[in-house]
Amino acid sequence: MSDPLYTEIIIDEARNASNEGTLENPDISQHDANPMCGDSITLQLNVNDDSISDVKWHGDGCTICKACTSVLTQLIKGKDLDYARNLKKEEILSELGLEYLLKQSPIRIKCALLSLKALKLGLYSFLGKKIEDSASLNNLKEEASKLY
Amino acid sequence: MQTSALSTENIRKDFPILQRMVRDGKPLVYLDNASTTQKPNQVIDAISDYYKNHNANVHRAVYALAEESTEAYEKTREKISKFLNIKNKEEVIFVRGTTEAINLVAYSWGRQNIKKGDIIVTTEYEHHSNIVPWQLLANEKGAKLEYIGINDNGELILDQLDSYLKTGKVKLVAFSQVSNVLGTISNSEEIIKRCKKAGVKTLVDGAQSVPHMKVDIEKLDCDFFAFSAHKMLGPTGVGVLWVRKEILETMPPFHGGGDMIREVHKYETTWNDLPYKFEAGTPNIADVIGFSAAIDYLSNIGMDAIRQHEIDLTKYALEKMSQVKGITIYGVKDILNRGGVISFNFHDVHPHDVATIIDREGIAVRSGHHCAQVLMERLNVAATNRASFYIYNTKEDVDKLIKSLEKVSELYKL
Repeated sequence: MSDPLYTEIIIDEARNASNEGTLENPDISQHDANPMCGDSITLQLNVNDDSISDVKWHGDGCTICKACTSVLTQLIKGKDLDYARNLKKEEILSELGLEYLLKQSPIRIKCALLSLKALKLGLYSFLGKKIEDSASLNNLKEEASKLY
Repeated sequence: MQTSALSTENIRKDFPILQRMVRDGKPLVYLDNASTTQKPNQVIDAISDYYKNHNANVHRAVYALAEESTEAYEKTREKISKFLNIKNKEEVIFVRGTTEAINLVAYSWGRQNIKKGDIIVTTEYEHHSNIVPWQLLANEKGAKLEYIGINDNGELILDQLDSYLKTGKVKLVAFSQVSNVLGTISNSEEIIKRCKKAGVKTLVDGAQSVPHMKVDIEKLDCDFFAFSAHKMLGPTGVGVLWVRKEILETMPPFHGGGDMIREVHKYETTWNDLPYKFEAGTPNIADVIGFSAAIDYLSNIGMDAIRQHEIDLTKYALEKMSQVKGITIYGVKDILNRGGVISFNFHDVHPHDVATIIDREGIAVRSGHHCAQVLMERLNVAATNRASFYIYNTKEDVDKLIKSLEKVSELYKL
């Protein structure tokens, strides 16, 4: 028995999600929630010389939310902040074969992209204290609010 | 495959929506009746007939149409009184729904009678509509809101009611006759008896009872009673608040405006008779008339037959569902103390994932907190799935639900 959304890859990814846990003194800690689904996650990052030295997430979410959060943390761990700033939703979705959600499921896309929204908002707050290029900062916030 | 109690095959013919397909040609299996029910042709036609042939405002003009609409509107009030064994039809107030009914009581009776230090008691399995109005009132007045807890079987712990009553500070006990999540049927008569003895007023939320079983308000002996039309084949936007006359006569108006007045002068106004004092503005005439057709439909079938049908279906569903791997079913085991509502969860599978998977088979169940977050906290879950039955559901619907739930177990290897 199979299902286009609930593939073995996605269920396994959610069940054995990477980087689940809590950082002790995170440089970035961003919470976000999806009231429709009840997804509620916190994404935490440590930053060293503009590079993401560690990342953890915790919270409660549906399979789609957990699987996508897991993939996001794998993608950004060890990368520099610019990579995370420019990370596109398609990159996360394609890892799990979920690009079609963008067109087909306005409800479930919110589950898939909740962690990316948290990442962008977290970076916005973090960088706000460091850089003065307000135009590019505002782009980041704008992007987060228009993800879905 | 129908239960012995009802001729579902004939009933289903009256519901056009049940003929449609969803999700690439799957017949609709509608199991979200605790949220809202589907409407038969008789109700849809009554509303359409009103607008096509009789539309005019009520209680005002003297021309033919106005007389017809007033008569049809008031006839519904009589019908409701008969349906629920209410002695005085002027105790029946039309509102938008259960939520507005409870807010009316909190605003009008509550503000006049609840004082600092008083206690309002509700239960852990209430809908938000029977919690939030009391929180607002308690905060405004400096009163306290307390909860009757539930045991692990999903039943109210009535000893807790006794300890609250003993304080002598309780002014009102507000509870639902049937829980919208667990399906538990409250021991309403016992609760009301104990409150009466202590001189405490009682409000019964009948949103999940009136559609599914015979309710006799005279016998129940409560003080306030609220329910909604849309959960019993009627249109959305209509509900009823019933208040015992001696209390209703002491209550100040809720909304001010047309129809609720006798005479208005520049600086003072006198109020209209009951129940019009509490029905300000042009009411929802068409939908009240639609509600009338819904009550006729249910009365023709008979509430006892409806209850028996739901007992048969729920029993069948509980037996089959408990065989599904990885499932947890909440609520009362004794079928006679349970309405046609089954809340469930799968081990480590989020309810929204379950709902998405079974939606592909055309099955509509609710997933979420069911406007009962206090109960979700008590059950220690964020959300549940909920299947709820009505007169048009069949054992085949249950079989389809079971098959789709088995798919969830398989996909998640439970």
